[in-house]
Amino acid sequence: MEATIIQNLALGFSTAVSPINLWYCFIGVVVGTLIGVLPGIGPVAAVAMLLPLTFNLDAVGAIIMLSGIYYGTQYGGSTTAILVNLPGESASVVTCMDGYAMARKGRAGPALAIAAIGSFFAGTVGTILVALLGPPLAEIALKFGAPEYFSLMVMALIAAAVLAHGGMLKTICMIVLGLLVGIVGTDVNSGMSRFTFGASGLADGLSFVVVAMGLFGFAEILSNLQDKADTASRDILNQKITGLMPTMADLKLSAGAILRGTAVGAFFGTLPGGGPTISAFSAYAVEKKLAKNPENFGQGDIRGVAAPEAANNAAVQCAFITTLTLGIPHGATMALILGALTIQGIAPGPQVMTQRPDLFWGLIASMWIGNAMLVILNLPMVGIWIKLLKLPYRFLFPAIMVFMAIGVYSVNNLDLDIYMTILFGMLGYIFMKLKCEPAPLILAFVLGPLMEENLRRALLISRGDPTVFITRPISAGFLIATALLLAFMIVPAFRKKREEAVAESTAL
Amino acid sequence: MHIKNIPTVLTAVAALCVASGAPLHVVAQTYPTKPIRLIVAFPPGGSTDIIARLVGQRLGDKLGQQVIVDNRGGAGGTIGTEIAARATPDGYTLTMGTTSTHVIAPAAYAVVKYDPVKDFEPITLVASTPYLLVLHPGVKANNLKEFVALAKSQPGKLNYASAGTGSTTQLAMEMLNRAAGMDIVHIPYNGNGPAGAAVLGGQVQALFGSMPAVLPHAQAGRVRAIAVGTSKRSPALPNVPTVAESGFPGFEVSLWLGFFAPKGTPKPVLTRLQTELTAIANSPEVKALFEKNGASAVTNTPAEMNKLMKSELDKYGKVIKAAGIHLK
Repeated sequence: MEATIIQNLALGFSTAVSPINLWYCFIGVVVGTLIGVLPGIGPVAAVAMLLPLTFNLDAVGAIIMLSGIYYGTQYGGSTTAILVNLPGESASVVTCMDGYAMARKGRAGPALAIAAIGSFFAGTVGTILVALLGPPLAEIALKFGAPEYFSLMVMALIAAAVLAHGGMLKTICMIVLGLLVGIVGTDVNSGMSRFTFGASGLADGLSFVVVAMGLFGFAEILSNLQDKADTASRDILNQKITGLMPTMADLKLSAGAILRGTAVGAFFGTLPGGGPTISAFSAYAVEKKLAKNPENFGQGDIRGVAAPEAANNAAVQCAFITTLTLGIPHGATMALILGALTIQGIAPGPQVMTQRPDLFWGLIASMWIGNAMLVILNLPMVGIWIKLLKLPYRFLFPAIMVFMAIGVYSVNNLDLDIYMTILFGMLGYIFMKLKCEPAPLILAFVLGPLMEENLRRALLISRGDPTVFITRPISAGFLIATALLLAFMIVPAFRKKREEAVAESTAL
Repeated sequence: MHIKNIPTVLTAVAALCVASGAPLHVVAQTYPTKPIRLIVAFPPGGSTDIIARLVGQRLGDKLGQQVIVDNRGGAGGTIGTEIAARATPDGYTLTMGTTSTHVIAPAAYAVVKYDPVKDFEPITLVASTPYLLVLHPGVKANNLKEFVALAKSQPGKLNYASAGTGSTTQLAMEMLNRAAGMDIVHIPYNGNGPAGAAVLGGQVQALFGSMPAVLPHAQAGRVRAIAVGTSKRSPALPNVPTVAESGFPGFEVSLWLGFFAPKGTPKPVLTRLQTELTAIANSPEVKALFEKNGASAVTNTPAEMNKLMKSELDKYGKVIKAAGIHLK
């Protein structure tokens, strides 16, 4: 068994390390990073735009390049999250919280570096997992039916309450609001539209980019501009830049976070429909729960960058498991990459592994190479990105607005989306004034529709019998964990303020 | 490089034609002078998008102008199709119309702001994808007859997955439900991928799935293919009988994909496109690519296409009404 895996990996590396494939991988990573730093242009848009580039390549080269673009955009998305509070895709929302706080304190360098290092480590572990355990993990993923997904998402949402450092009540309000925003669109079961006000552009719901760009990017700009005192204070940096690279203390603090983040990401990433978002949020929640000083989270704690970034990247790698072994795409980007394979004349599915081992193992090897290239490329670029922060805000903010508008428009080519972003920007500004955290709203917005879909599907299959959630063991496990989590948070809250309670419970 | 030169050459040829007194062919011979937008009313990565890109790229090579795929997904394909219906009819906007956009959506949605027949110039079909009825291997039925018997022995117990409410995967199964007098319960999923995963994992028992999505699983033995919805057996699975030969004569469900232009597009342009598209779809290379993915190349004439749409609107309209599907 081991011998065959080594043989397979050797075949993979010999395919991926050919100069031409290395070159495709490099181009993919570079172009992906460059596009990923444009606010609002996430992996889906980038891969869709660049798909024609791969038409004339051979299948191996094409998929290596597209995967490079995928990792590159993913990483580029984190870069803007840290530098200017603009999450490039849903998983980077978590990175915004502490990453941007670090940037404002002059520590954007260490934040960017730890994001790269954490991602690389997680990517390496993810690649090994895919190579060693791909097929059996895919089997486990198939065991997840509607009840399991529903219970998993309930758990993730409750865990989100831990995320925010505002009051418990405010957090719950934001979660409920996020669920409501997520309801907008066509109901999967009946086909009826809800809260669309007759606008066909809302028929498929609000897009993540619209909500996130509004609540984070646009609101941030509004709040910066209201500060009339003097132009200097508007600049993102409010402290001197201290060092480009993480210190020993930073690394020590992050090591555990990266390890735990990787584990969390690998778990959720394997499930189709779980994915990077849940991973990043959960990893953050775990870190905050385990930290001795949870009050630092949200103020620029490096663990708040390391863990979600590692989780996100581990999940991205593991997403290839179901895509490659079962031919079931894991979200829109994967669907596109599979589409590219089809254009190359390869029917994606379980047979790819046996019929085209060079392609399958070459891709796995190139995953690791792509991640290594990202680190090599990005560590020296940290200095360049930081210089961006020194730009006077009067130049920076119009540029951000323009790119944001382009990015938002590029998702569905709908002008309505830009107006909706402005609306969410104003809403985000009000939230800021009310000291309500937007992150739980985003998580609820992303998970809400999935939760509803799976709840209704589970009940359809069980013919309306709700006990299905506790009679299926995996689902029951998640619900028990949720109940424990709730008890953990609510019981002490009756007696003391929540901050103290959290401090106390983690000290135990 | 050489692609850029083609329009110049064409212009020169056209100029010569004018000089030699052949003005009728001018439009067709100068067209196209700029890139052509091909609206795909579904998000990138889906089967419509893939076929559009496959054919679009080759059409671009033949015409000497790039064909740019413009994904305008949403609302079951009605958003993009409406944009195409309203576009300037100059041959520079085309759309990939399918059974979904030109038959099912107009029949199932309460409001659709285009008329599939009156607002478009059909050019030609390029492909058709069969539907394949697959079962989870744990289901005790080896063919359609046994499956019908099983379903009838326990009415309302079995489930089938679909790619969504109002999708062809639902309508195909509803047609079978009605034809066989079965009561298999509809469980909608979000697309062909998740619906396929549900059958692979045994969450539901059956799926009348789109061939490209389920064929790999059937070939790998992860699901049991018991019937195809087309009138003839599929070359990809010659041992799997059709629904019609399994006791339901006349049963036929497949998804067709074809090119449409907005109403009023100049005739010479349409003729040119029809010639090129027919050649592309019939080329051995494209035929093989389609077949590998479970689709087959099909071409026809605009008149045949209008006839097809009318008969399909009638057929699916009845199922949609009977199954009580109303989309808003």
